Order: sequence, then structure tokens, then C-alpha cells
Amino acid sequence: MEIIEKIKTNKSIDNQTEIQKICLDKLQSSPLPNLRSEQWRLSNKSKLANFLDYSVNENNSKFDIPYPKNSQSTIRLIIGENCQIKLIKKYYSIQQLSKDELQKYIKEQISFFNQNENWSDLLNLSLSCKNNILGLKINGSKIPPIEIFSHGSSNSLNAKTLIVFLEKNCNVELLQVNLSEDNSSLSQSTFFCLEENSSLNHGVVSYGVNKSNLLNSLNVIQQKNSEYNLGSLHFKFNYARFEIRIKQSEGNAKTNIKGMQITKKNEQISTYTKIDFDGPNGFLDQINKSLADDKSHAIFEGSIIVPKIAQKTDASQLSRNLLLSNLAQIDTKPQLEIIADDVKCKHGATISQLNEEELFYMRTRGITLTEASKLQLSSYFQEIISFIPVAKDRWDLLDKLLNEN
Amino acid sequence: MVNKNLVKDVVKEPYKYGFVTDIETEKIEKGLNEDIIRLISQKKEEPKFLLDFRLKAFKKWQKMKEPDWAALGYKKIDYQDIIYYSAPKQKEKIASLDEVDPKLLETFDKLGIPLTEQKKLTNVAVDAVFDSVSIATTFREELAEHGVIFCSISEAVKNHADLIEKYLGTVVPASDNYFAALNSAVFSDGSFVYIPKGVTCPMDLSSYFRINSGDSGQFERTLIIAEESSSVSYLEGCTAPMFDTNTLHAAVVELIALDDSSIKYSTVQNWYAGDEEGIGGIFNFVTKRGKCLGKRSKISWSQVETGSAITWKYPSCLLLGEESVGEFYSVALTNNLQQADTGTKMIHIGPKTKSTIVSKGISAGNSKNSYRGLVKMGTKATGSRNYSQCDSMLIGDQASANTFPYIKSQQPNSEIEHEASTCRISEEQLFYLQSRGIEFEEAVSMMVSGFCRDVFNQLPMEFAAEADKLLALKLEGSVG
Repeated sequence: MEIIEKIKTNKSIDNQTEIQKICLDKLQSSPLPNLRSEQWRLSNKSKLANFLDYSVNENNSKFDIPYPKNSQSTIRLIIGENCQIKLIKKYYSIQQLSKDELQKYIKEQISFFNQNENWSDLLNLSLSCKNNILGLKINGSKIPPIEIFSHGSSNSLNAKTLIVFLEKNCNVELLQVNLSEDNSSLSQSTFFCLEENSSLNHGVVSYGVNKSNLLNSLNVIQQKNSEYNLGSLHFKFNYARFEIRIKQSEGNAKTNIKGMQITKKNEQISTYTKIDFDGPNGFLDQINKSLADDKSHAIFEGSIIVPKIAQKTDASQLSRNLLLSNLAQIDTKPQLEIIADDVKCKHGATISQLNEEELFYMRTRGITLTEASKLQLSSYFQEIISFIPVAKDRWDLLDKLLNEN
Repeated sequence: MVNKNLVKDVVKEPYKYGFVTDIETEKIEKGLNEDIIRLISQKKEEPKFLLDFRLKAFKKWQKMKEPDWAALGYKKIDYQDIIYYSAPKQKEKIASLDEVDPKLLETFDKLGIPLTEQKKLTNVAVDAVFDSVSIATTFREELAEHGVIFCSISEAVKNHADLIEKYLGTVVPASDNYFAALNSAVFSDGSFVYIPKGVTCPMDLSSYFRINSGDSGQFERTLIIAEESSSVSYLEGCTAPMFDTNTLHAAVVELIALDDSSIKYSTVQNWYAGDEEGIGGIFNFVTKRGKCLGKRSKISWSQVETGSAITWKYPSCLLLGEESVGEFYSVALTNNLQQADTGTKMIHIGPKTKSTIVSKGISAGNSKNSYRGLVKMGTKATGSRNYSQCDSMLIGDQASANTFPYIKSQQPNSEIEHEASTCRISEEQLFYLQSRGIEFEEAVSMMVSGFCRDVFNQLPMEFAAEADKLLALKLEGSVG
């Protein structure tokens, strides 16, 4: 209940948008998710409480965008700062969604929400003020890569919302970056709607400093013949939760997901994915990697749902995990729920440590143990990093992962 | 294009064990309370420790809630509408099989269970349980020569109270889960096996469970103890008559394996599954668990689950001893409106422990078949390994197949591998077999049998043949 009080006392009711009111109303009946449910049972309760501990912040302090030099040909947007966007060029246009369009779409989404499953979105939408919602409509071709930043400032709870409509036949590369300062909580909800024949290469890079918290929720609706590729990376969060919900609304769509989470110290990072095939001929190829060191805890739960209508679905899901310390913990649960009979579905999961034989081989060739481990890790990381658009060419993520700490 | 109806017809074989034996039975009144438990205990002339065990379990059960996490849907069970003790009337003590009511012997004869002398040649010792009591145990003298104790658990309570007191409830404590608590409070009979140090049991042991009464539940309890360097293979079979009501079966099986011992536990479960509309059938809620206590001990579960309206069953292994091994091989077939939520738990606690899981699910008709399994590596399980493989086969577009593997590791120096796949009977393969002159039904059953081969290979000879036949029968008319 506290969280609701907090949102309410933070601003006068009159200032709240209609969406905020609807979401608050929904939260009122169950202010916290059911912590015993499958989606939440492994979540660290005290860390979640800590997430909600900060006071809500609606103002956006300035922050330094990383890698500024490389940004010549990219479009850079910061949620909360760029209020008016209207880019109409020869081949493409990027425009802000009108207030009505935004409201209509969000309302429609809320009507599909499941209180427990979409709790992160409900929280986000009840916190997100008008300025912190960015809605875009993109069409055309030859669109330069887009980078969108969300920022969580210190000692506060920040909420940012991104809504993107990709119109027919449009190809976009979009990198979403969530940056958190220390002692901060960031709630990020993203909604993508991919219209027919569109394709999106989506990257999500989220990292914090000490004691940063993140609730990152991603909702994607794919119409037929659309292609959605997601490369994601989450690291350096005291508590982070990445929820991915993808719906192939008419089937005949392609989804590729490559995600990775790295936990150290006392951190907990989890990824939950739910892929719904609501039509025939859907395709999914998903790999999720975790690395857990020190006393940390990495979690992956993925579900693939193939109802009767989704004949000829081809879905595969792989969870690969590296456990590097005696005190760390990994939980993984890839699941399949299938009714259609003419489908190809498979999943796999492995948990192990670095390959000793390979380490030994490298050491016999004069490479030190530290260097050899780094080499192995870099090949483990590279598969995912090379799948993150924009960042793969311009950001030195591998270096950041291997050499920081 | 294969005719879909043809395949459906293949699964429609009527249940041939659905007859009822007309025999006078002694039943107690319906309902569950402390007095009923005292009455059961009194009828079985049990020592005080067992009555206390039952009452304690009952108190715990009253405080517990029926679990609802399984992917199952069934109407609420009224626990007060069940008879908790039902036994065929017979003379007080039976000196030999000749004194057993011939009707009972006839029943087991019809089921193909070798109780009578002329059938004992098969070299399998059988303990036959009818409703709440054990009717007969064969080959007792021969087994006794090797020091093997094989009897009903009621007899064991009387003759080997020390062993029962020492081991009962140590693997599945009364408070373990709702159905285990219920069983601990009201269990009626079951089998007890004790294999002494260094003995390899000279023959396969087998229990046959038969529910005859429509309104009484069956709550059997099995306890198997394998002392150091011993080994045993145990088989379990189950059938029930066709009633249009649902009958509750809540059993508990506990296995204990000490140093260098091995227990192989095989089940062919063919309880009545209900009719095509889902009316009737057994609700099968079973807790089976083995404890590999000793070093290099091994417990292997193999099961063929074809019956029951509802199956809720997770035979598990607690791998405590160094280098102990747990295995789980399962075939679960569901048809019509059957629902099965089954799998295993492999809990690796000791170092260098190994486990293998092979699960094959076949769902046809409107049925629901879920694999739910847990693999856990504890902090001390260094050098441990697990390999899991779960395959599902879907027949028809109304059946569902789910896979829910829970994988948890706290030990970096251990390896877990899991893989799962879903497929269906491929039309090309069917066409190929048919083009070679193989009848449609035979082709289907060959393919199903091939799909389950990894598991059937693990079953004891007789069971393997039976399981193959059973699956073929069950599937008759369902593939298309």
C-alpha cells in the first residue's frame, strides 16, 4: 500500500493523467505482485522493497551521454528531455505520437494486462508523468540508427515509458540504453508495435553503478511478416528484472532474441520471457546467457506458448549459464506449453563453469590463467554483444565487461 | 494425407481390467477424523508408535492446503465422502494360498498376476494388494532363505517393528505434502522389502495393487530398504474397475539405499482412466522418493503411466552419498480427457553424484500431459552431473504437451544439461512404412514404440513386453 500512498502524496490528484489514474486504480486492489507466483517467487523480496524505497522523481537532471564522439550519424533521444520531435526527411519520417494516439494505445494495452504479470507496467504507467512518456511513429526507409536513453538519477525512483509504432515496410535499428546512477531505481516500460513487413533490430543495454535498481519491461506486438531481433545486455545492478513479452499476433513472423545478464557481488538479475504465438508459421530462436559470480544470483524463466492455431511454429530456446563461484546461484526454467501438433519446438539448458580443458590448453601455450579466462569469457560474451545493433560498432561493450570492476 | 479418424480409432481400446469382483467386503463408514484413524490402527493391531505417527500426520494434514500449482483441473475432492478402509472378508489368518478366497485368486488370475502355485514358475515374487489389504505374498520361504524380507507392510509392522520405526517417514516425512500427510494418517497396506547386507535378491519382487471398491480410496505405503552391497529389482502394477465416480489413490513409496546398494523400481500404472467424456477414473496422487544414503548407491525409477484420470507423481532421488546415482525413465501416455503432471526431482547433495532423466510424453485426444522436473545442485555437490531429456509427442490438435523444468545450481564445479523437444507422428514416416506394406496401426505403434525405446530398454523383460503391448492397445485408433 505504501507505494500507492507515495505516488498519491507526491502530486495532487488533479495533475494526474487519465492513464495514471486507471493504473493506480488497478494497483489499489493488489499493490504488490503475488510474490509466491511463478513470475515473482525467486525475486529477492528485500531488494524489491529497496527498489520501491526511493521517493518518486519526475524531474530530469542532466547527465552525460556515454560515447558522445561516435554519434555523428545517429539520432539520439533522451526520454524526458526531447519533448518535440518532428523529423521529416526525404525517405523517412519520425514523429511524435499525438496525445490521443498515445492514450488510445496505452488504454488498449492496459485492457490486456494481467495484474500479476504486468505489475511492472502498471507501476511504470502510474508513475510516468506526461514528460517522461515518449511516443514515436516511424516510417520510411534509410532511417539512421536511433539511440534512446533512459536515465535514473540518484536517490530517487524514476519512471520512463517508450512507445514506438513501426509502420508498414519500415526497417529500423534502435538501441535503448538504460543508465542508472548509484542508489537509484529506474522503472522502464517499452511498447513496440511492428506493422506488416516491418523489421526492427532492437538493442537493450542496461547498466548501473553500485546499488542501482531496474525494472525493465518490454512488450512487443508483431504483425505478420514482421521481423524482430533483440540483443540485450544487463549488468551492474543490485536488483534488475527484465521482462520480455512478445506476441506474434497473426503468426507468420520472425523473432530472434539474444540476451545476457552478468551478476557479481550481491546482485540479482533476472530475465523473464513469454512468447505467444497467436497464428501459424511463427519462428523463434532465443538464447539467453547468464554469468553469476561472487554471491550473486542470476535467474532465467522463459515460456513459449503455442496454442492450437499456431500450426507449423518453429521455436527454440536455449539457456546457457556460467556459474563461477561457490556462493553464487543460478536458476533457469525454460518452458514449453504446446497444443498445436504440427510444430517444431525445443529447448535446452546448461549450467557449468569455464571449460577446464580449454583453459589448460591455453596455459600450456604460455597464456596466464587470468588471460585465458578472459579469452574464454570474451568468446562467451561476443555472441550476444555482436547481436546488439548500434552498440556493436560504436560502443566497446566487451572491453567494459572484461576490464571493469 | 493420413486419415485423422483412423488415428483416433487406434487409441480407443476398451479398458480390459474394468470388471468388478463381487466379494463380500468389510468397510468402515465414510469420512475422516481421529476416530477413523484409531479404528484403522486398531483393525490392523498396530503398536502405539504407529498410531502416534498417524495422528500426528492427521493433525498436520488438517492444517495443510491442497496444492494447486500443477497444470491439472479436476473437481474438488470431498475427503469426507471416502471410505478409508475396505477389505475383503476372509478368515483371520491364512496359512497358505489355498485358504485365500478363490474369488480373489480368480481376480488376480484374470489380471494375469501369478499367485497360484502353477503360475509361480515365472520366478517373480508377488505381493497382491486388494483395496486396503494385502491378500497374499508368494515365494516367501525361498526369499527368507536369503534373508530377504518381503511381506505386506501390516505384517512388517507386527514382525519387524524395529525396522519400520527406524525408517518409516524418514524419506517422505508426514509433513512433506498434502497427499503424503493424508497417506501417513490413513495408509492401509502396501509392501515392505528388506534386503540384507551383501545380498542380491534372487528374483524380481513385485506388488500388484487392485482397487475393487468404488467408494473407497486406496492409500498404500511401500518401504524398501537395501542394506550395504545389496541389490533388488521391484515391480509395481495397478488396475481398477470402471466406475463412473472418481476414486482417490494417494500412495507413498520410500526407498533407502545404503553403501554400494542398488534399487530398481519399475511401475506400470494402468488405473482406470475414465471414459471418453472424462467420467470416472482414478485420481492418482503419489509421492515416491528414494534416498541414496550410502556411497556409490543407486536408485533407478522407471515408469510407464498409461492410466488414471489425473496423475500427479514425481518419483525423486535425494543423492546424499558420495558418487551416488539417480535415474528416472518415464513414459506417460494420456488420451481422451486424461491429465498427467509428472516428472522427477533430482536433488544433488553429496559430491560426485550423477543423475539421468529420460522422459517421454505422448498426448492424444483432448488430454494434457506435463513434464515437471527439478534438478538441484547443492553447494557441496562438487563434480556432480545431470543429464535430462524430455520429449513430447502430440497426436491430434486438441492435446497439449507442456514442459516445466526447474533447474537450480549452487555449485560451479558441476554440470547440468537439459534438452526438450516436441514432435508428432510424421506423415512421411507413416507413409514410408505403409508403402512397405505395414498396416497403418502397426506403423503407428512401431513409431510410438521407437519413440519410447530409451525407456522400455530400462524396464525388466516382462514389463517391457507388457508396456509395449499396453501402449499399442491404448493408442489403437488415435493416431492420424
